[in-house]
Amino acid sequence: MKYIGFFVAFALTIALAVAVSRPFGAIPPLAPLLDPNNGFWQNTFSEDELAEEELELSNLSAEVKVIYDENLIPHVFASNDADLYRAQGYITAKHRLWQMEFQTMAAGGRLSEVVGSLALDLDRMTRRKGLSYGAEKGAEFIKENDPESYLLLEAYADGVNQYIDQLSDARLPVEYKILNYRPEHWSAFKSILLLKYMTDMLVGDRDLEYSNLRKILGEVMLDKLYPEYPQGVDPIIESGHKWGFKSLSVTRPDSISYPDNLLLIDPMPQPEDGTGSNNWAVSGSKTKSGNPILANDPHLSLNLPSLWYSMQLTTPDHSVKGATLPGALGVISGFNEDIAWGVTNATRDTRDWYKITFQDNTRKAYRYGDRWEQTTFRIEEIKVKGEKVFLDTVVYTHYGPVVYDKTFNSNRQDVNFALKWNVHEGSNEQKTFLLLNASKNHEDYNEALNNYTAPAQNFVFASKSGDIAMRIQGKFPLKWRGQGKFFMDGADPRMEWQGYIPNDQNARTLNPSRGFVSSANQHPTDSTYPYYVFDNSFEFYRNRRLNNQLKGMSNITVEDMQGLQFDDYYLHAAEALPIMLGLLGKDSESDAVAKKYLALLNEWDFYADPNQKAPTVFYIWWKKTYAHIWTDLTNNIAPVVLPSYYQTVLFMKNEPTDSIFNLKNTADIETAATHVKQGFKEMLVDMAKWEADEGDFSWANYKRTKIQHLVPQFKSFSVDNVYTGGGSGMLNATSDRAGASWRMVVELGEEIKAFGIYPGGQSGNPGSKYYSNFINKWANGEYLNFDLRKSDQAEGVLFQTILN
Amino acid sequence: MKFILVTFLTALLIIIINPFLPYWAVMIFIAILTALVGINGVGAFFAGGLGMGLAWLGQSIYIGIISGSQLPQKMSELMGLGSDMVLFAVTGLLGFLLGAFSALSGSLFRKSLKRKPTNIYGG
Repeated sequence: MKYIGFFVAFALTIALAVAVSRPFGAIPPLAPLLDPNNGFWQNTFSEDELAEEELELSNLSAEVKVIYDENLIPHVFASNDADLYRAQGYITAKHRLWQMEFQTMAAGGRLSEVVGSLALDLDRMTRRKGLSYGAEKGAEFIKENDPESYLLLEAYADGVNQYIDQLSDARLPVEYKILNYRPEHWSAFKSILLLKYMTDMLVGDRDLEYSNLRKILGEVMLDKLYPEYPQGVDPIIESGHKWGFKSLSVTRPDSISYPDNLLLIDPMPQPEDGTGSNNWAVSGSKTKSGNPILANDPHLSLNLPSLWYSMQLTTPDHSVKGATLPGALGVISGFNEDIAWGVTNATRDTRDWYKITFQDNTRKAYRYGDRWEQTTFRIEEIKVKGEKVFLDTVVYTHYGPVVYDKTFNSNRQDVNFALKWNVHEGSNEQKTFLLLNASKNHEDYNEALNNYTAPAQNFVFASKSGDIAMRIQGKFPLKWRGQGKFFMDGADPRMEWQGYIPNDQNARTLNPSRGFVSSANQHPTDSTYPYYVFDNSFEFYRNRRLNNQLKGMSNITVEDMQGLQFDDYYLHAAEALPIMLGLLGKDSESDAVAKKYLALLNEWDFYADPNQKAPTVFYIWWKKTYAHIWTDLTNNIAPVVLPSYYQTVLFMKNEPTDSIFNLKNTADIETAATHVKQGFKEMLVDMAKWEADEGDFSWANYKRTKIQHLVPQFKSFSVDNVYTGGGSGMLNATSDRAGASWRMVVELGEEIKAFGIYPGGQSGNPGSKYYSNFINKWANGEYLNFDLRKSDQAEGVLFQTILN
Repeated sequence: MKFILVTFLTALLIIIINPFLPYWAVMIFIAILTALVGINGVGAFFAGGLGMGLAWLGQSIYIGIISGSQLPQKMSELMGLGSDMVLFAVTGLLGFLLGAFSALSGSLFRKSLKRKPTNIYGG
């Protein structure tokens, strides 16, 4: 009897202990999570409350000092590069471990391991486009060509791993506790993979959509609706620039046959809308102090923990500060004691598709000219949480992986298309940043950039010695006019890329006479540049606003440049609204409600400040009108892209009664005015609903900028309804989910003055007071002091740690 | 008296060893404690439960106050509990259950080892 009592109690106890150690559906294991000594309660402490004067870090040649300023920005003082990057790895992991691992899980197509089968399709896509494959190539390339950098990558990984190895349950980031897994070791490969992931985030192509458009519209109409060089383009390298090199020749095949059926494939995920950036530098001749000033604000999806992590990295040879990417070595956008640099995305179609004709169902060979080439098979093993391993076979051709085949994303069609992308070729982007961090002048900067392949960037530069420069750097395929705009026939060897534009012929400028250099994702050059340059996503608004402002400015101060980064001028509205009001005519003025909105629009100064109401009215009216104009295109079953806003406005202005505005399936003849009026009516309906449901339609309240945790389901870790102006196409490009992910302004005088801010905080821990503490300042256009610190500087220190 | 002693010792055990050991190791120690002290089943259940429950509740409240962090509120929203008050209560309750059953097992284990007096009438 007495035994039975014990065994019953014992069994109950074991059952209870096991039950609370396991997840139930979406509910994480309760006891490890709620245990006040080891669970999430321990994540409520901020970093300054856990500060330690000394931490153990092995394999250092000398002790490393880390001084945190009041914003928890670490300033790392090391005696050589290997120590520096080992410490960078350790410190970054200390504040951002979960994020850096999660991002590389996404990059490696391994999210299913963490979140289960709902991520399986995403993982398959990531793997089929060959990101891991590219990172493996990259690792081999660096090992072979640049063993010194590889050693630094390994030092960084060792720093991360030493942190992971001593990590207690209490200090484990809360996301691991909720999702119920633990960090694995970091590696040089993962750092390389992260940089490939950046390429994936920033590079798109619309070959699929253009192939369909060519079939639907014909080439003449395609060129009319989607001109490659619309009138009024203001390129990155100033117009009229003399190139001063003899260009390589490219031969265009005399006859080209495109794979010509409509392609009913789900397009690959493209870079998020609103990813873009601004950067510029003004020479001393235009500034009040006579010193060059450089500014950079990359626009990306707004996430928490923030993509960026600020650091100062100092050795006896160099001292650099700015924004780092957790997982990558060095500073990505920043400055040192001599120079400053910044990046914007240099979009260009560097991703092409080839139709593959397999010999038979085994897919072991494919046609190439008059012979058959062998394929290779890469088996992707995708582990899925709570389920069995998913095996995905990807066929590789000499072009690259066959992304679309019968097993994946092909919608009713038996299609095979291989992806050619320079991300699959060995490259060493890390080297560029290692060298830039220690650059002293324009020559060093150019040398650093020579190592850079992808994602192509517009690198702005300014130096203390007075130089300003811009260079568009990437490994750009040498293409004949029109090559790669559409899917090509992979069986025809004449469709191959004919090499690459040599680095020294990539467009660049140094100290142009206009006194400034700038880029905002627009066309890189005027039409005199001797190579074919094409992309669907060149931007038309920010660059013109920026260049017009810079042209008109003199006696420029740092505050002026900060103001320009925060500029809410809505150029698209300023150009479109007068035309729309003209086309609308007087019909609507009898309606009292319509009159109210029209009054708002008529009084508007075209600034999309957070409290303005007119931007909301314009925005909805424009969206409706635009959708209506291109109804015929959107109604196609095959995926297409629509003409740009810029081009659409030009049509409305110059040819409002042209047949492009006529919809085929209606009895009437539509003109631009028809669409504008219809759009206005629909806008009234939407506004009535918004005012009834939400009331206030001021711009910030309507666009609802949200800074979202990397796991969107973790809603309470996100910050909603950030009160700030701007929007897509404005210099302050803050839309609902994307915007300035980092703002930096640097004046390169005798003493460097630097300012920076990003929408987040240094800590990756949602429980820390440093998790989102920059957001309000960022939303108000304020900055943090980013001046370089000396190791003995006493003021403004939060705490300091010796690594030994 | 033993009841208060076991409650107190359990709580003390949590505060001293839980920072270094996971919850299941703490459960073993509680069982050992009640087995050593020798307290009846009902007493062990409530004393162990109260000891661990109050310790966890107290610790979570203490941490919540000194850190001033929003995390408890964020976590309870994430878990669909609404208010962070519920999360404090759930933490305490979970501590109670774990402590109670561990203590009960320990107590009954001691009892099961006690030799039955076979020779009660002497001889």
